[in-house]
Amino acid sequence: MRRHFFYSTLLVVSLSLIASCGGNRRRGGSESVLKIGTTKDGMKSASILGDSYLAQFAQISNPPLMTMTKEGKIEGIIIKSYEISEDNTIWTFYLDNDLYWSDGTQVSAKDVVFSIQLFAEEVPYARWMREILKKVYEKENNAVVFELYKPYARLDFDFLTYNLLPQHIWGKIEDPLRHTYSGVMIGCGPFYISKIDLNAGFILFQKNPFWKSTQPEIERIELHVYNNKDVLALALEKGEVDTYYRYNSSYPYPNLERLEATGNFNFIEEPHLSLKFLGFNLRKTPMSDLAFREAISYAINYEELIKLDLLGYGEIPSRGFLPRVMPNFTETTPLRFEPDKAKYMITRAGYRDSNGNGIREDLSGNDLELSILIHNEFIRLAELVRDYLRTLDIDVSLKVVDTNTWINLKDAYKYDLVISRTSPWGMLMHANWATGYFDSRRTGEGVLHTVEDPAFMKLCDNILTTKDERELEKYAQKVQDYYAKNLPAIALHWKRIVIPYQKKFSGWSPNLLYGIYNIENFIKLRIIRGESFEGSENSGLAKT
Amino acid sequence: MKSRTFWNRSGLILVAFFVFVAIFADLIAPHSPWERFEPYTKPSTKHWLGTNDIGNDILSELIHGSRASLIVGVGASAIATLLGLFIGLISGYFKGFADELLMGVTDIFLMIPRIPLLIILAAFLKSSFWIIMLALGLLWWTSTARVVRSRTLQVREMDFVTSSKCLGFKNRHIILSDILPNIFPVALPKFMLTVATAMISEASLSFLGLGDPSMKSWGLMINFAFIKGGLINEMWWWYLPPGICIVLFVFSIVLLGFSFEEEKKVAIK
Amino acid sequence: MAISKKKILRYLLALFIIFSLNFIIPRIMPGDPLTNLLGEEFSLSEAALQELRSELGLDSPLMLQYIKYWKNIFLFDLGYSYHFNQKVIPLITGRMKWTLVLLLPSIIFGAILGTILGALSGWKKNALPNKTITWTFLTIYSSPPYFLGIILLYIFSFKWGLFPFKGFYETGTLSDIIQHLFLPVLIMSAFSASRNYMIMRGSVLIEKEKLYVVYARAKGLYKEAILFRHIFKNAILPVLTLVALDFGFLFSGALFVEIVFSMNGMGTLIYEALLSRDYPVLQGCFLIITLMVIGANLFSDVLNGIIDPRVRERQ
Repeated sequence: MRRHFFYSTLLVVSLSLIASCGGNRRRGGSESVLKIGTTKDGMKSASILGDSYLAQFAQISNPPLMTMTKEGKIEGIIIKSYEISEDNTIWTFYLDNDLYWSDGTQVSAKDVVFSIQLFAEEVPYARWMREILKKVYEKENNAVVFELYKPYARLDFDFLTYNLLPQHIWGKIEDPLRHTYSGVMIGCGPFYISKIDLNAGFILFQKNPFWKSTQPEIERIELHVYNNKDVLALALEKGEVDTYYRYNSSYPYPNLERLEATGNFNFIEEPHLSLKFLGFNLRKTPMSDLAFREAISYAINYEELIKLDLLGYGEIPSRGFLPRVMPNFTETTPLRFEPDKAKYMITRAGYRDSNGNGIREDLSGNDLELSILIHNEFIRLAELVRDYLRTLDIDVSLKVVDTNTWINLKDAYKYDLVISRTSPWGMLMHANWATGYFDSRRTGEGVLHTVEDPAFMKLCDNILTTKDERELEKYAQKVQDYYAKNLPAIALHWKRIVIPYQKKFSGWSPNLLYGIYNIENFIKLRIIRGESFEGSENSGLAKT
Repeated sequence: MKSRTFWNRSGLILVAFFVFVAIFADLIAPHSPWERFEPYTKPSTKHWLGTNDIGNDILSELIHGSRASLIVGVGASAIATLLGLFIGLISGYFKGFADELLMGVTDIFLMIPRIPLLIILAAFLKSSFWIIMLALGLLWWTSTARVVRSRTLQVREMDFVTSSKCLGFKNRHIILSDILPNIFPVALPKFMLTVATAMISEASLSFLGLGDPSMKSWGLMINFAFIKGGLINEMWWWYLPPGICIVLFVFSIVLLGFSFEEEKKVAIK
Repeated sequence: MAISKKKILRYLLALFIIFSLNFIIPRIMPGDPLTNLLGEEFSLSEAALQELRSELGLDSPLMLQYIKYWKNIFLFDLGYSYHFNQKVIPLITGRMKWTLVLLLPSIIFGAILGTILGALSGWKKNALPNKTITWTFLTIYSSPPYFLGIILLYIFSFKWGLFPFKGFYETGTLSDIIQHLFLPVLIMSAFSASRNYMIMRGSVLIEKEKLYVVYARAKGLYKEAILFRHIFKNAILPVLTLVALDFGFLFSGALFVEIVFSMNGMGTLIYEALLSRDYPVLQGCFLIITLMVIGANLFSDVLNGIIDPRVRERQ
């Protein structure tokens, strides 16, 4: 009888719990809310200075000085205009006079000066500013002046990422790097952060009552943060969120067909600025041999990569590396898959299998045993590339490590090949046009810094010190010609990203840098009212 | 007695089946698991379990995947059990200082965290499966050592051991011929259970992305099934079979371990 | 209850070595905390990098860092996390709170369910319900935890919409928290229960054959009374050791459940700190886990002594 008593209590408890669940699962909510689903990735704390992931999301509440438009131009959001001195050492930014913090205080040049200095002082990844910025100060007409140590023509690009903070609040904070928010954080964008709760995976933005420019139709933006991108995909289909946003990512291609079948979603399809590539350790043989790299470039089945990795959402890249959508794109020879030619070229370059063991040897007579160093995100892609290289009778293996180890090994040049990805900002940084990935004078998490050719570095330096459009266009072409000729890395495909969203929204304006997560997009977003768009919970059950 | 043979038989049959499949995978599998066909196809006469995201035949993957689980599972467990036996025997037989020292070492190893060790080893060594096997084996001998030690403590007080000592046999001989045979009934089920845990660990590590793509494994199959849309597209033929295989294989080994337990209990009677 | 001096010495020595390992292991891992601080693409001169390193205390000689490490342990100062932007102690206690909410009920349910069902099953081995339960628990025990988790999430949250997809809570009310925790606690309890069940069952099977049971029957006691009055106490010993250890390892969290259900507990804290090489957090977490596990070990030794007089005698 003890057993029966036990079983029955168990039954009662479970039933009551399940009963309590029923009911409040579907919240109606106000009409003008946009729920964005995203993943946690590296977001670790609610500190805007200390956490670069949160800082990125805070760009709609605490905008940086510059933004990228839908067409790819760099413009100011909170600034009306900016001027640069002839020698590129003095930059003057003129602030918008009609900008207000969400507590009513007007935004002034004081805030800009304060914010930049705060970042330069406190934030590790902004420390480069100390080496470039000599002086930052206010000027009349609500202007901010930056005096630089040396000529530098790309300060506007760098200012695409640092948030503006209110001096009258943050000036009083003791340890700004570690200061975290759970409630309201004053902002001057069209929205301000009203709640951050990482335990619930939730960040709430409310409309800034003091935003004077075009009013957004949305009243509230809810950011739902999931630990796992596949659970996020499930949540999207279920209607828990309205759209899917991850920096530098598309919605997973295999799930698209299904989402389409629910009939509740529309899709944005855009060419993507960043790409995945095969990188060479140019300090080691045989990767340092151009003839070797050339042969490799003919051995990769680009069509198959697009089919299997992108499910068709992409095109075959060219030797010039940069995708078509990159500003100042120039045509270079497309990459081709010609396996016989690859074999011919690698043999002609001197890599033969003289001892008949099935593996070619390098120029010193050792078997060619190469490893591809990757982060586990690229396993499938790397498996395919490995197979292609193996058809050339090269013994290729994969070395899968965690990100930190990958960066460590890559920086120490302890690898043969890598497969990795660029990011939209990465394509623009340094001297633009992906030069930031190759210039060996730079360091950074995702960059290869393998090109030590003085000609390349001179090209970068030229770009860094001129604002002349025509000159820049010429340089852009030179950069792509350099990539095409020397193949420091091989682009594996140029992809198109797809962003699904609930049908009741329209008017999306994604940009090349941050996709749909930009101020212009949220201001222009329209909501179609009236019809019932409750998400796909019905379709889920109908399918069973 | 019916239950003893039942456990015994079912466990043995299942284990034998899996081992057979693992050894003869090349002959049994309809295709090479690395050959690529049309991706994401449903089960058909050509591919009984369909194909995965890059076009590999899932059935062939499944068959070959048994090897990884077997190697890591049995390998890690073998290392762990041998180490555990060694340490437990010495600790329990000699007692005193050796015992304290070895038990202290056991406590220390109990605390070494698994994943950091794997990250360290993966960075410095080459291929992952052997690393996982090594790392797991090196960390898991602790509970076997404890169990072996307590049994050794018991056995060494028994009469036949005392008589061996009186007869002047050397310590090593006593350990090997008198004590060890009595430890087996305790060590064997422990070995089985460790194999089970090792297999699950291997699958879990693949889920975290710390797996080794140079070999097909059930854990990696499930991982790819999830992240490449298998779950959300209800491709049960992709994500369920490897999961079920893991469960069944582990199940069969636990059964086998069970059957040894039952025998032991009968023997005690 | 005399715990021998030798044992205390042994525990202290082990603690010393483990604490030292806690210092060494994060630093052997390739990479360093700086990489995650600097953002995806940055341009810093070597001088600036050096400056940053010394600000974080990463460049002082290892021996000095080691001494500072011990000093901080005795001062109960676990420092600041590099990447979570908080002091380590409140960071850990915040996460621990939620891990406890998730795992304490699981351990308790698992212990009660597992031991009672296991005892009954060992007692009446051949009864059909016991056989089915055994097979069920065996199956649960044999599954990878994340596999079960994702399948349950898929069925109950996605298909049937009964439970939420993420987080510890949404509105913070009690029923809201219960809703969010239901599936994770269910899974963890099932695993805990299945393990305890196996061991308890095996234990009871052994005890059942012992002489004191025959004596009790001869005395005239009813079946269930024998089971719960005499056998239970003895059979539960191995389970107790394990449950005590469970409490110790409680603080390492439940990584897979936390990943599938998007919960920020100790498991993800340790995992993320590991990936970003956040030394202070790693050291802090391992320290606490070590203390808890060793404490649990000690506790179960003592408990064994209390419950089982034979152990006491041997001591």
